[in-house]
Amino acid sequence: MYKFFTKNTSLILFIFIPFIFLWHPNWFGLLGIQPYWPLFWLLPWSMINGSISGIIFGSFLGLILDSVTVGSNFTQIPGLVLCGFWFGRIKIYSNNLVGHFRYGLICSIGSFLCGTLYFLQILFKNFADSTFLLFFPSVQNILAEVFLTGFFAPLICSQILRLFKFSTEKGIILNFLNK
Amino acid sequence: MLDIRRISTRRWWHKKKNWIFFGIFLFLVFVRISKGALYKDFYYFISKPFWPGQFQKELLLNSSEQESLMKLNLLKKDNLRLREILYLQDSSSNDNISAAVISRKTGSWWRQIILNKGSKDGVKIGNSVIGPGGLLGRVKDTSLFTSSVTLLTSPESKVGVWLDRIQVNGLLVGVGDNYPNLILYSKDADIEVGDFVSSSPASTLLPPNIPIGIVQSIDESLKAKKTAKILLLAKPQAIDWVQILKEKI
Repeated sequence: MYKFFTKNTSLILFIFIPFIFLWHPNWFGLLGIQPYWPLFWLLPWSMINGSISGIIFGSFLGLILDSVTVGSNFTQIPGLVLCGFWFGRIKIYSNNLVGHFRYGLICSIGSFLCGTLYFLQILFKNFADSTFLLFFPSVQNILAEVFLTGFFAPLICSQILRLFKFSTEKGIILNFLNK
Repeated sequence: MLDIRRISTRRWWHKKKNWIFFGIFLFLVFVRISKGALYKDFYYFISKPFWPGQFQKELLLNSSEQESLMKLNLLKKDNLRLREILYLQDSSSNDNISAAVISRKTGSWWRQIILNKGSKDGVKIGNSVIGPGGLLGRVKDTSLFTSSVTLLTSPESKVGVWLDRIQVNGLLVGVGDNYPNLILYSKDADIEVGDFVSSSPASTLLPPNIPIGIVQSIDESLKAKKTAKILLLAKPQAIDWVQILKEKI
């Protein structure tokens, strides 16, 4: 059991992302807005496994999050796929302190990208009426989300990255011992 | 012989990893097609210990008395109007379902709540959901144990409303903040700050005369129409218990 959990930490965390997305804990929020949770998982995953894996799991995450939100007209897949690709091209930095702050910056930009792409879909759909009415609340949504994602990323991403690296190393050692 | 074996082991279908990957993909497609029903039902069970308690329910029921008084006045007026007009929809039904809010997203893009009653309890897509204060939104989709409600503040929400004082129908559109916009397609409409907004008797989506909100500010900058910001009476960010109206329009 322990071996299973150690080996599959990343997948177990992947399964729990929609739950935290639904849970929407208020004490993490600002103006009722939450950090963009999927990026905290996608960044370490893509950094370890590369761009292709980032694209695939970005689309998987988008699929699952689209299913649990009621807005069936809009999708989160394009933003997450782009982030998955970009995160996969980032190398793990040796300097810990700089690395932590880098996660914050990267996640902020990723969140901005996802938020903007989602907003553009809403804008495109409501192009005929009340377009300008959507503008100010949406900008506020994007900015709050960018701030929160960037604020929590150094803490959460570095821990998840450590966990993923640990599980990979542990998996290799366990495989070697079994052989 | 050795070469053939080497080639055959290189084929993608001989790799276990690819099949696992394909299995995950099929599972996710299933989740997407079922609109996350599996996830929502699982969330129903793991969130059960944290549902709001009975004490809070009583408090909210007391606060809803005020809403009932307001509703009564509206119904009286509506009755008078009904005597003059030949036909309007029937609004007397007590066939409601009480439900607790088990997930709440009232900020950001996804303005939705998830309730602990689903298709098993008779909730149907399109049912109206009210809370202390008035209308909250409509059921967008249901799973066996849960139902997802699109709030009036969501950019996906568009409902017909009625301004009682000036007797005009309008369209209430969510824009992604806490104050949805009322659009009146008439420049001459004599709308004022403080006007009361309820669901429209002409609406095909909602039962008539459910209190919705109060006009907070008016924007007259557009040529063909008037728009106004509406302060909602029901606060989805604070409500833990709601009623699902089962009645058909």
